[in-house]
Amino acid sequence: MAQDNLSPSGIPIKDIYTPEDIKSLDYKKDLNASGEPPFTRGPYPSMYRGQAWTARRLSGFNTPEETNELYKEEYKLGQTGFSVAPDMTTCSGMDADDPRAAAEVGHAGVPFSTLQDMEICFAGLPIDKMSTYLADRIGGVLTSMYLVMAEKRGIPMAQVRGTSANDLLAWSALNLLNQVGPEAELRYAVDLIEWCAEHAPKWNSLSIDSYNARDNGINAVQEIGLAMSNGIQYIEEEKKRGRVPLDKFVRRFSFNTAVHNDIFEEACKLRAARRIWYKIITERYGIKDPNCAKFRVHVQSSGSTHTYQEPYNNIIRIAFQVLAGVLGGAQSIHANGYDEAICLPTDQAMLLSIRTGQLIQYESGVTRTIDPLGGSYYIESLTNEIEKKVWEIIDEVEAQGGLAKAILKGWVHRLYRDAIVNYEGKIQTGEIPVVGVNIHRLDKVPYEVPIFKPDPKRSTARQIEKLKKLKKERDNAKVKQCLAKLEEDTRKGLNVMPATIEAVRNYATLGEICALQIKVYGEWKHPMSI
Amino acid sequence: MAKKAAKKIKILMAKPGMEGHWRGLVSVSNALRDGGFEVIYGSNMTPEEIANTAVQEDVDIVGLSIMSSNYVMLFESVIKALKKAGKSDVMLLIGGIIWAEDFDKLKKMGATGVFPPGTPLKEIVDFVKEKTAALA
Repeated sequence: MAQDNLSPSGIPIKDIYTPEDIKSLDYKKDLNASGEPPFTRGPYPSMYRGQAWTARRLSGFNTPEETNELYKEEYKLGQTGFSVAPDMTTCSGMDADDPRAAAEVGHAGVPFSTLQDMEICFAGLPIDKMSTYLADRIGGVLTSMYLVMAEKRGIPMAQVRGTSANDLLAWSALNLLNQVGPEAELRYAVDLIEWCAEHAPKWNSLSIDSYNARDNGINAVQEIGLAMSNGIQYIEEEKKRGRVPLDKFVRRFSFNTAVHNDIFEEACKLRAARRIWYKIITERYGIKDPNCAKFRVHVQSSGSTHTYQEPYNNIIRIAFQVLAGVLGGAQSIHANGYDEAICLPTDQAMLLSIRTGQLIQYESGVTRTIDPLGGSYYIESLTNEIEKKVWEIIDEVEAQGGLAKAILKGWVHRLYRDAIVNYEGKIQTGEIPVVGVNIHRLDKVPYEVPIFKPDPKRSTARQIEKLKKLKKERDNAKVKQCLAKLEEDTRKGLNVMPATIEAVRNYATLGEICALQIKVYGEWKHPMSI
Repeated sequence: MAKKAAKKIKILMAKPGMEGHWRGLVSVSNALRDGGFEVIYGSNMTPEEIANTAVQEDVDIVGLSIMSSNYVMLFESVIKALKKAGKSDVMLLIGGIIWAEDFDKLKKMGATGVFPPGTPLKEIVDFVKEKTAALA
C-alpha cells in the first residue's frame, strides 16, 4: 500500500479493496433497496429509472426584468426548475436605494426590494408547472414575496412548489453586512419551517445548505458533519417550542451540498449522508414515518475548484463533479458555468451547464441502473468510513450546545480558517495538484474566453427609480402598521411569518423588514480572524 | 541583546465589496503574516472603514480582495476614501477575479500589484518584500 494515500477528507485509501473490507456489511440493515430504509442507495424506489434529477441553475442578474428574460430562455432550453440567486444587496437585506449598496445592485444576482420585483421576475413563466428555489436569506422575506406573487396569480399558497434556502449555516458562512447572529437566525428559520408545515405543505421550507461552508475549504466529512448538526439543531429548537409535531416539521427538509473533485468520495458522501439522516430521524427522534427520514439533496459543482487559468478545463471538472452527484443519487443538480472564476456565465457557459447534465443523462449510460456503485468493496468501505467520521463531528458540535452556539463561539469559522490555510498550503506545495495552475502550468495564456459584463450602473438607476415610484404609490400608512405588527410579533416571540406576509403583500420593502431584524437583535459580526 | 528589529511593514487586508468570498483574503493574509509582515485582517469593510483603519493603524499597504466584477468601481471608491482621509501615500494591492484587460487600468489608477486567482502565494509575498525593501 502506497504511503499517504489519503482521500481529501483524510481517510486512508488502500491500493485495492477486497471482500474482507465489507465483511461486516449487512445488506438489509446498511444498504437495502432504493426507497427502502436506511435509503443508502437512494430515497426513492425508482430513482433515475423513474425520473431524472432536476436541472437547476442558480441564476439571476442586473434587474428582475432581465432575469425574467433569462429564465424564459432557460425554460426553453429544457430547464425544469428555477433557482434564484439574489444580488448581494438583497442577500444583505438592503433595498436598491440603500447608500451602502450602490456598487452592488444587480451584481452576481437579481435584486428584489419589493413584491413588485418578484412579480416582474416571474411574469409569464409557468410557475404552476415548475418549482423554484429561492436563495432566501433568513426571515422568509423572498419566500413571502414568491408565495404572495403566486397567490395573486391564482395559485393557492398550499399548492406552490419550491424551496427556500433559509439556512443559517449557509448564511453565516458569508460575511454579510446587516446580518443578525446565528441564534436569531435559528429563530427566524424555524418560524418559516413551522409556518410552511401548516400553510404551504408543498414548499420545502428549509434547504440545509453546506455548499458555502464547503467552498470555505472544509472537506466532505466536515461538510456533512455540519449539515447534519444543522438539521439536528432545527429539530431541537422545535422540540423546545412544541408548536408543530416533529414529523410534520421535518417532512419537507431538504439539503444542498457541494460536489467537489474526488468522484468516489463525493458519491459516498451522499450515500453516507442518507444513512445518517435516516438514523437521526428514526433512532434519535423516534419519528416513525420513513418519508420524513429521506435525505433529498440538491448538489452544485464546487466553485472553489474552478480555475481562472485555462477556463475550459473547468468544463471537464464540472462534468466530473456532476457525474459524482449522479452516482451519489442527487435529486437536483446545478452545474456551474465554466467561467465562474472569471465572470457571471455567458450565454454559451449557461448552455454548456445545462448540456453537461443532459450529456450524462442521455448519453453516458450511468442512469441505466440504480446506485451503480453499490456493492463495490471500495465504495461500501468508503461510505462506512465517512459515516463514522461524520458522527464524530456531530458529537463535537453537540458538545458545544449545537451548531448555532458553535458558530457564535467562532468554532466553525476556525474550522474554515484552518481548512483554508491547510488546503491552500497544499496547493502551494503541489500536494494538491491543480492542472494548469500548479502543475503543467503554461508560461503563456493559451487562449481567452468571452467575458460576460453586467451593466450594474444601469441596474441601480432602474431599480431605484422603480422603488421611488412604488414607495409613493403604496399605502404608506398600511405599510407602517404592518411593520409595527411585525416588530411586535418578533419581540413577543410569535411566529413572524403571518406578519411578514402581510407586510410584503402591502409592498413593505426587504430593507424595511430586515432593518427590523437588526433593530430587535442587533448586527452580528463575522467571527473570522487569521 | 538583540539588534533593534527593523520596522515591521504593516498591511491592512480587506474586502471593499459586499460579497462573501473571503477565502482568498484569508489565504493571502496568512501568507503575508507568515512572510514577516504585520497584517491587519479587515474582512469586509466599506471604503470609508478601510480608509479610517488605514489612518488609525498607520499602515504602509492596503491589500484589497474582490470577487465580483465591480472591482473598478470599488477600487475607485477606496482610492477616493483614502484621499479624503489624507492617506493617499499608502501602497495599494488588489487581488481576486480581475480580467487581464483591466490590469493596466488598475495600475494606472494606483495599484502597485494586481494578483488574479491562482497566483502563487510566494509570488505575492516576494513581490511585497521587493516593493517594501526600501521601507523596512
